[in-house]
Order: sequence, then C-alpha cells, then structure tokens
Amino acid sequence: MSDWSKVTRPIPVPNEWTKPFWDAAKRESLELQRCQSCGFFQHPPFATCVQCVSVDLKFEPVRGKGTIYAYTIMYHTGDKRFASAVPYASIVVELDDAPGALMAGNLLGSEYTEAKVGRRVEVIFEKLNDDITLPQFRLAGE
Amino acid sequence: MWENRCKIAISGVGYSKATRSADIPLAAHALEAVRGAVADSGLKMEDIDGLATYPELPATGHAEVDGISVVSVNCMMAMLKLPNLTWHIQVGTTNIGGAVQQATNALLAGVCKYAVIWRAMHNPRGTYQNLPGNMAAGASQFTGPYGFGGPGQGMAVAYTRWLEKNHQTRDKMATLAVTQRKHTQHNPHAYFYGTELTREDYFASRMVAYPFCLFDCDIPVQGAVAIVLTAADRARDLKPAPAYLAGYGQRLHFETAGRIGSLSSYMEGGSSSAKLTWERSGFTPKDVDVAQIYDGFSASVIYGLESYGFCKEGEALDFIQDGRIELDGELPLNTFGGSLGTGRIHGLWHIIEGALQASGRAGSRQVKDVNVSFVGASAPIVTGTTFIFVKEPY
Repeated sequence: MSDWSKVTRPIPVPNEWTKPFWDAAKRESLELQRCQSCGFFQHPPFATCVQCVSVDLKFEPVRGKGTIYAYTIMYHTGDKRFASAVPYASIVVELDDAPGALMAGNLLGSEYTEAKVGRRVEVIFEKLNDDITLPQFRLAGE
Repeated sequence: MWENRCKIAISGVGYSKATRSADIPLAAHALEAVRGAVADSGLKMEDIDGLATYPELPATGHAEVDGISVVSVNCMMAMLKLPNLTWHIQVGTTNIGGAVQQATNALLAGVCKYAVIWRAMHNPRGTYQNLPGNMAAGASQFTGPYGFGGPGQGMAVAYTRWLEKNHQTRDKMATLAVTQRKHTQHNPHAYFYGTELTREDYFASRMVAYPFCLFDCDIPVQGAVAIVLTAADRARDLKPAPAYLAGYGQRLHFETAGRIGSLSSYMEGGSSSAKLTWERSGFTPKDVDVAQIYDGFSASVIYGLESYGFCKEGEALDFIQDGRIELDGELPLNTFGGSLGTGRIHGLWHIIEGALQASGRAGSRQVKDVNVSFVGASAPIVTGTTFIFVKEPY
C-alpha cells in the first residue's frame, strides 16, 4: 500500500470562489457549487454556471458517494513532496449527486491496484492543519 | 470553402541541433533554426518583415529568462535587427499553431510579406516539473494536494478513462511508439535518429504515470525549428516548392481550469478545430494522404485521430494497427518520427513535416503521391490547432 506518512501535500489556498468548499470540508462536509437557476452542480468552482451561464451560484451539501471516473498510478519520483508514496493512485471521482462535476483525490486505504474506472468510492476527510481538511476517497460497499 | 485557401504557403524550413541538455543559450538554437529557414527559402535576412512565436516554457518551477529558457519576439528582434520589419505577434490561447495562423492572417491582410515563425524549447537542469513550495493556489488547489503534479498525469487520467470505457489495452500503443521510431530513422534532425526501439523495449520500459510508460512521453530536449510563411505567388518564386495552406482551425472549446480527466475536453477541442479545417479546405478525412498528429504524450494521437474524424470514438488503438500508419500504409502518421522521435519541440515540427510531405521534400520518408497533408499541431485540449497543406492549389 502507498505510504503517505512522509508525503508533504501542498496546502490548498482558498480564494473568494472556493472558500465555502474548504470551510465545509473543515466541518467534514462536502459542499459543491450549485447553480440556483438550473440546479447543476459544478466542480471546480467557476464564475458562472457552466450549463446555463447564470451567476447565481451557491454551495450546497452533496452526499460523498460516487464512482471512479478516471485515475492514474504515479511512479515517477520527480515531485519530491510525493516521492515516498509512489506508486500511488490519483483518482478523479464523479459523485452520484453531482453528475458532470469531477473531483480529484487519492485512493486511500487500499492497494493502488484497486483503482479502476467505475469502482464505487466514498469520501473521507484528511486533516492537513487547523485550517484545511482535504476531502479524500476510499473504496465503498454498495 | 475558404476564399483564402491556397493563398498562403510554407516555403523554407530550418532546424537547430537538438540536445538533451542546455549547453548553449536557447537564443542560439532559435537563431540557427531561423537562419536555416530563411536560407532554405533562398531569402536574405533583410527580406524578413514579420515575426511570430509562442514562447511558453512548459516546464514549471523554472525561471523564464528571455534568450535562456524562452525566445520571445522581443529577443528575436534584438538579435536580428531586421531593417524592414513591419509586423510581429506572440499568441496565448493556442500553441505555436496559433502563431502560424496569425502570421497567415497578417500576410492575407498585406501587413507583411515574408514571416518567420519559430518554436524554441528549453530543457532546464534538474527535474523538468520542479514543483516548488508547500502551497497550492488557484486551479491547483483541487489537484496539487493529491499529487497531480505535471501535465502527464492530467493526460494519463483521461487515457485510463478512454481505455477502460472502451475496453481497450495500453499494449496496443506499442505499435505507435515503434512505428514512429522507425520513421525517425529517416529524419537526421531528430533526437532519436540512430536509436531503434522494439516492441520488447516498449513493454520493458519503466512506468512513469500509468498508463504512460517512458516511451509514451516525448523526451525533453533543447532545440528550435522555424518556417518561412509567405503569399503563394511569392512562394512560387522562391527556391523550395511551396506547401499551400488549404485551411486551418483552432479549438473552440474550453472547460474550466482545474477540471481534469474529462474526455470531452479533448474530443470537443479537437472536433471543433477540425470542423473548421474540413469546411475551409473542402476536404474530408478520407481525402487525406498523410497526417501529422501531435504526440507529446502518445494518447494525444488517440484523441486526435478520433476527434478529427479519421476513425470512430474508441477505435483509434485498433486503427493504428496492421501497418496502416507505416510510410506505405493507408494513413502514414507522424512520418518525421513525431515528438516521440524528435524530442519535445511542440507542434511546429508537425507543421513542418506536413508542409514537406505536401511539397514533396520529405526525402527518404516521402510518402508517395501526396496531395492532401493534414496536421494536428498540438493536443486537442487547450491549445489545439489543425491545418491542411496541399501540393496542388485549387
């Protein structure tokens, strides 16, 4: 299993668009930007709705279940911050509640070989420091 | 059809020596390539009155020093001191293909007569993606913390999506790497000229970012290439046979920054650019005699073949089998070796090869009876541009 204990993850720097996402993650809740006009959830956050161009956007809670949309297994050790974890799985997740929105994560708690397109995952939270908690994913049952 | 088809042509082409390490300033490479292209046309430097480039350094975490790690238009102006210069530009939303297209527009507008376009690529010392610091700001706040460091991983996630959605296997990509390396042996300017690659080498090579092994990635090099672009009637009076520009396009699709893994960003980027190119030129994929499709990472070729319309979605890895992309195949592909053979010089070399094949100047790798020569000059995502060059104006 990938050893994450010596990894130095870069700490996200929230901005005015993304702060509600990170505030929610700190409370161990997943909230994505939702268009108040057409109801579409999007991620990463953007200035306008990517479906209907409305500027009326708010962050709303979503359930943390979804499927692996895509993944890569990193073997290259060029990025020294992550070198101690290789090989590791970086995944892209499509949540059941937010089809079309794509969230990045790592597959934690399983061998990296378990990363496959279509596999069920659920969100877990990894505290990085007092301000930032990172949404992550692990394999889920049904 | 485009009323300006075949009114502009590529004339001379030039290359610098491509080296693995940065032994001399990048400006010296750019100068060598530009001088080569001007000489190939039989022009004098003072004839050049237009300059265009895309000077971006794809390696992150390294300083952009003009003349050392990038070669801007300003840098080229300072070196050449062109007495008759009337026009110049650097592009942003597209890669080097956009510089060629803007120079085309300038020539059509009559604001210059002979434009030189170059692409100079630096290989910094140390790690190519030298990702510094312990903070992830901007779009990277949603990817950086998870170890999505370089563009390779961004491409790799889309590739696993493509492979598993279409029940395909990465083993089939060996055909692309091996065939392109075979083509490379006909291109003395290429970094891997003189170095063979077998299927066994491909399968034995180390994994970089699954599904990409070492031979799915172009090797970073230090080097430059250049072209002379001019009006067709002027090109006819110059030394080399002209390659007439029949049509071009640029990608008209963008998904929000930081969104990764989405195949639609490649497919809609590529199809929007190709649609313009087919409509403007009047050709269809079936008319194409030879194709150059950007291959900085091998999977770009898949998205190119499918989104440009050469095969159906999900079929590209089967399409490239059975000799179809060999020099005597149904669709000879990346006949100069591609970036996988030349090293990382970005798409201007694809454009050069498209022009050489159209003008019958490709030497021992010349495909027989070429009239219609297609180029996808960068990955369909973000920076995609497409071109068609022809031998016979129409």
